[in-house]
Amino acid sequence: MTSARYIDGKSLVVWLLVMAAMALAPHYASRYAIILLSTILMYVVLSVSWAMFSGPTKYISLAPAAFFGAGIYSAAVLGSSLPLLVVILIGGAVSFCLAVLVGALTLRLRGIYFVMFTFGLVELLMHFLLWFELNINDTTGRVVPSIDNSTVYYLMLAVFSLLMVTVYALQGSKFGMALKGVGENEEAAAHIGVNVTVLKITVFGLSAFFMGLAGAIMATKWTYIDPKIAFNPVVSFMPVLMAIFGGLGRPYGPIIGAAIFSYLGEFLITKFPYYYMLIFGVILVVAILYMPGGLVGMAQDIRKYFLRRQHADS
Amino acid sequence: MLLTILDVLIAGLLLGGIYALIAVGLSMQYGVARVLNIAHGEFIMLGAFITWTVYTYLGINPIASLLITGPTIFVIGFILYRTLFTRLRRISPTPEAFEGSSMLACFGLLFIIQNVAIIIWGADMKGYSYLAVPVDFAGAKFAANRLVTLGFALVFCVAFYLFLSRTRMGKAIRASAQDSDAAGLMGVNIKQVLAICFGFGALMAGLGGTLISMSYNVQPTMGLEYTMIALIVIVLGGLGSITGSLVGGLILGLIGSIVTYIEPGLSMVAYYLIFMLLLLARPTGLFGK
Amino acid sequence: MVKKSRLLQGLMVLGVAMAFLVGATAADCAPKKDKDKIVIGQAISLSGPLAGGVAISGGKIYELWVEEVNKNGGIYVAEYGKKLPVELKRYDDKSDIGTMSNLIEKLIVEDKVDFIFPPWGTAWLFAAAPICNKYGYILIGGPGGAGKLKELSLPYFFQVLNFSETQAPVLASIFKEVGVKSVAVIYRADLHGIEFGKSLIPDFKKKGIKVKMNKSYPDGIKDVSPMLKEAKSLGVDALVVACYPPGGMLFTAQAMELDINFNAFFLTVLPFSPPLFKGTFGKAIEGVMGGGAWNAKTSPGAKELVEKFKAKFGEEPDYWGGLYYWASLQHFQKAIEKAGTLDQKKIRDIMATQKFETALGPFWYDKDRFFVNHPGEIGQWQKDVFEVIDPGVKRTAPPEYPKPNWPKKAK
Repeated sequence: MTSARYIDGKSLVVWLLVMAAMALAPHYASRYAIILLSTILMYVVLSVSWAMFSGPTKYISLAPAAFFGAGIYSAAVLGSSLPLLVVILIGGAVSFCLAVLVGALTLRLRGIYFVMFTFGLVELLMHFLLWFELNINDTTGRVVPSIDNSTVYYLMLAVFSLLMVTVYALQGSKFGMALKGVGENEEAAAHIGVNVTVLKITVFGLSAFFMGLAGAIMATKWTYIDPKIAFNPVVSFMPVLMAIFGGLGRPYGPIIGAAIFSYLGEFLITKFPYYYMLIFGVILVVAILYMPGGLVGMAQDIRKYFLRRQHADS
Repeated sequence: MLLTILDVLIAGLLLGGIYALIAVGLSMQYGVARVLNIAHGEFIMLGAFITWTVYTYLGINPIASLLITGPTIFVIGFILYRTLFTRLRRISPTPEAFEGSSMLACFGLLFIIQNVAIIIWGADMKGYSYLAVPVDFAGAKFAANRLVTLGFALVFCVAFYLFLSRTRMGKAIRASAQDSDAAGLMGVNIKQVLAICFGFGALMAGLGGTLISMSYNVQPTMGLEYTMIALIVIVLGGLGSITGSLVGGLILGLIGSIVTYIEPGLSMVAYYLIFMLLLLARPTGLFGK
Repeated sequence: MVKKSRLLQGLMVLGVAMAFLVGATAADCAPKKDKDKIVIGQAISLSGPLAGGVAISGGKIYELWVEEVNKNGGIYVAEYGKKLPVELKRYDDKSDIGTMSNLIEKLIVEDKVDFIFPPWGTAWLFAAAPICNKYGYILIGGPGGAGKLKELSLPYFFQVLNFSETQAPVLASIFKEVGVKSVAVIYRADLHGIEFGKSLIPDFKKKGIKVKMNKSYPDGIKDVSPMLKEAKSLGVDALVVACYPPGGMLFTAQAMELDINFNAFFLTVLPFSPPLFKGTFGKAIEGVMGGGAWNAKTSPGAKELVEKFKAKFGEEPDYWGGLYYWASLQHFQKAIEKAGTLDQKKIRDIMATQKFETALGPFWYDKDRFFVNHPGEIGQWQKDVFEVIDPGVKRTAPPEYPKPNWPKKAK
């Protein structure tokens, strides 16, 4: 049940060093680096939480925008009346509840139907909230009190740490194995004595919880929130692409994918503002065509190739 | 009162015609080629822009421009399938993996096509007015351009249906949809057939774009909205079914029209609510097996 | 064992990536050289759903202004004893508010631009204004804005565009003047729609005009004919739609297609755009009213702007905000020249208190730093000109009422 089996002393030390370096970043990095790192961490959190459920189960969820948005919108509604930490936790909790509801409803859906349902969810929530706010609450936009950049960064870092602990704990447990079983053979997984239904819904909820936390934190940066801003369908695709780009084979795949992808996006958007989408799209298509295992998979292939060569030489 | 009901029904059918046309192509692409084409709307956008361009600069009648948009976009779709999706199909370990990765590749295509359109046409909204006149019929009035659109949509859907059921190529496409391995064994050139099928899906989107541009404004980012509508329609009608898409489109149009009449603010909510309820209750659609 | 070492490698890669990232961004912090130009940063939507709006309203004015300033050798800054040319540094926020807020901070803290130009859209202004204010950067609002922005009371934010607050009473007065008895109000489900839709109703009531229909519609609607038919069946004199361009296009096209005529036909965001509105519907737009407003007759400076704009872009400028943004930039330039420095605080104080002569005449901000001297509030297309029909001195032509019916034949 402990994570000890998957993370040994040496890796733990590396982890702690990385975390320490990141925790101290506001003291040595430039001000903009902190802003950029917060955004990168946000994408990392989204991708890792997406991969936490969709990686092992192979259910492609296009609902990240819905859960992220639920967090944003909770913060928009409660932001000015409750303390920050409470608002963020409520943002996560709202997303968790939403995901559990969606998970329970969509149990029978597999493959493409699940994809479409989750995609539709984002639009449904957005249009419903628009109508509701306008006709019942007589408003549309809500103003969220903003907080300073290093607080946003630390909060995001805290969410990231919590997420990684959860991911490793889950991986090492029998639940992680059972979840993987769901992806390979759902019926067989049910036979090894784990309540697959409850497990699936719980992990789906957990992944949404982290997305909701991230959303509630980011809301404080945007000041003005309306349903269209909170529920942006493109946000659903980004974590999926980033996780797959990094590689789903290892827990750090989505981290690397999200970090590189979001940094690349930032780089392209500032250097080639008029061709950003084109270049980004081409990279995406090429990555899907030529790196099916993601960056991690490619690194493994390269390693194998050199090992084989060494072997052949000797 | 009777006239109001008639008005609402007819407005719904006119809207539904467009919906059906844009859904048929998407339905084929998924039903046969197993590509959930998130970039479907981008082909609609291309069709709309080509028509706008030839009408505004060369004065070519939008209806005549169907002859330009259709073949051009067919070729683009065909080439895309032969290069991109054929390779993806080869490297995907399972059909499910192909469905996932091809959908994501389409998302990349969406980015590329949109940016190319911005480079060519600029980001501004554009529009033109064609046949924007009323036609009187039994005391009620209809928009001439929407009537033309409905007519063409029905003709294209029927023609496409006949093509699939009567021609050799159509039979090959249907055989591939049911069991591509068996079809391959029976001497069907699978790669070619799937590419043609994908091309036809794109062609229908392009034709839809031409017709849409007669009633709506055109801009490079218009695609996703239509993709969403097409997705709703094919879920309504059942994935891969031509008849389903046609009927599904008309039904969705009617629903839109009725809800807009009662409470316009909820018209989009109604679309997605029906979409999701249907996915839960009957994912194979109203006409699926 | 293999697993562990791979994990270790992965983490090292991550660590290196992070270090690279931090290093890459830190390396750009070079010390300031002697000034040879003024760099102005702008994060604006060049792609995504907002890009269409940027292209038809606002976006181009900034480009034209930069070109114009540089043609004259730049802006004279006494501190440097010379004229400094202006460079516009643009980033694409891809219509994403998170990207925009990041890019503005990048422009300020990393690129260390001298000034910031606004992003596009009301919500975007809401997000950008507190950021600029935090760093003490002046932000002159362009397209977008809302009364709600006053509540944030940010000393470095200046609002230029007019909207419901000033337009609604004028529209009601015009309706009263021409004899409109009843209206149907339809509004888009967003901040623009709600502010406009709801603020009109008390104004109409004050003038004794009956509001017989009051409904919202969602973005993405594809058929508005049921609303048009309902308004018609209620027998209203005027149709008032608070919309964005796609909705406005649909209301116009469908009213035309179904030959549904009202004595007055008013749309907020659309008629001001000649390339889109006139370009699409041609002569059929005669008599349509819209938010704005100004035209070449407003002032000599306005005439000059129309000519310059046409020469550069081959189309007419936007007749709502075009002149306002232009004049706000001229006011800004004069404030810099008067301050004789690029110090934001000093320039801000001058901008907030002083009146300068601009293309539209005298330009100044009120105590909330809202521009008030609009050259017009409501326009109407009359014989190819977007006439200002406000009662009083701003009027360039009397309102045409009733609006002629839609033409019977296709053009």
